[in-house]
Amino acid sequence: MAAGFVLDKASILDRLGGDEEIFTMIVDMFVQDVDNSCDALAAALNSGDATVLQREAHTVKGLLATFSDDAGVAEASVVEQQAGQGLASQAEAVAGLQRRLREVAAVLSAG
Amino acid sequence: MHNVLIIDDSEINLTLIKALVVKLGDCSPTLFDNPLKALEWCRSNVPDLVIVDYMMPDMDGLKFISAFRALHGRNEIPVLMITANDQKDVRYDALLGGANDFLTKPIDRVEFSARARNMLSLRTGQKFLADRAEHLSALVEERTTEIRDREKELIFRISRAAEFRDPETGAHIQRMAHYSQVIALGLGLSIAQQKLILEAAPMHDVGKIGIPDYILLKPGKLTHEEFEVMKGHAKIGHELLKDSRSEIMKAGAEVAISHHEKYDGTGYPHGLKGHQIPLFGRIVAVADVFDALTSERPYKRAWDLDAACKFLEDGRGKHFDPMCVEAFLAGWEHVLDIRQRFRDEEMPQI
Repeated sequence: MAAGFVLDKASILDRLGGDEEIFTMIVDMFVQDVDNSCDALAAALNSGDATVLQREAHTVKGLLATFSDDAGVAEASVVEQQAGQGLASQAEAVAGLQRRLREVAAVLSAG
Repeated sequence: MHNVLIIDDSEINLTLIKALVVKLGDCSPTLFDNPLKALEWCRSNVPDLVIVDYMMPDMDGLKFISAFRALHGRNEIPVLMITANDQKDVRYDALLGGANDFLTKPIDRVEFSARARNMLSLRTGQKFLADRAEHLSALVEERTTEIRDREKELIFRISRAAEFRDPETGAHIQRMAHYSQVIALGLGLSIAQQKLILEAAPMHDVGKIGIPDYILLKPGKLTHEEFEVMKGHAKIGHELLKDSRSEIMKAGAEVAISHHEKYDGTGYPHGLKGHQIPLFGRIVAVADVFDALTSERPYKRAWDLDAACKFLEDGRGKHFDPMCVEAFLAGWEHVLDIRQRFRDEEMPQI
């Protein structure tokens, strides 16, 4: 179980050149889109196609990296790398990743 | 304004990159979440910078770059590819496949701005060089046209200098040159060859400059000796014009030496026969004689057109190349038009 997500706004802003406007924009988008991201992961798991799951995990990895969620990035990387070994074995990891996405969204919403 | 194309299947990334591009200033972003649609757009639009994600459905970044580079005129446009830090192999492939630089996720504004600006500077340099090359090419074209125009004017004036010493007129030069072009057209010569004979034919009698006045301006019939001197104008014209680097002058030299040759070998100066006579000489022979016959001179009245045509027809295979006579008569409407345009009294501007 990964450590809980802690918002490090300073680090994110540092990457965005201190631009609060962009920060707010991408936080809003992430929060609004989190259900779709979780659905896409579920659909990828059910597609039976390891490549699709790899791609979705890769996308989620990029999203979480944007918010400096190193632990979430690590979880997504595991799914991305292990998807090829069989989708059934990834069900638990995908569920964990979905929980992580919602947790990050909740923390970001709380500001 | 730089046109920046951004392709990423993630809406958040598109939004983020778009915001960063706008912050660069003087940039107009165009967004696509689908690489195939982006490629379609690129067929009719030329971006100044492409920022493309690596991992996308339907077509990954590597395939996009390869397809983009294959489009005409898109092989120099800077491409930045977005990859994860751990995708070293992808980076190598992308470099080989035509990416210019990389951005790593998560995107860092400082890094992004520096790399994007570098790429846009590269593009600005490319456009500057392309514009300069185009400008120089236009300038060369302009100067070349000026030189050609000057060359044409010079040729016309040289030709007139000879004609001024002759009862013939400037309008004669124009008519016979245009008749020559009509024959060249009828013979199926290229546009360039038609143009060349139009410009070179006026020089056919330039050698008359070297003929003494008492012969050139003699009102009556020339004696045998005088005619022998008169015949020398063909060689004098050739001497004047030969060895020039100008295509027109070279063609003029050929016309000067060969326009009094006759198809049956009885002409001068060399008594050449049939196709031994250069084509331009055979063409000009028909054009020159027709105009001389149909023009009024102090010593003779103008022949009517039917009589002149009959003279040409009777001269097929003897004085004239039959093909040239045929081509001339086939262009009869043009001939009449030329007679109208270039009358002896009123000379149109060249």
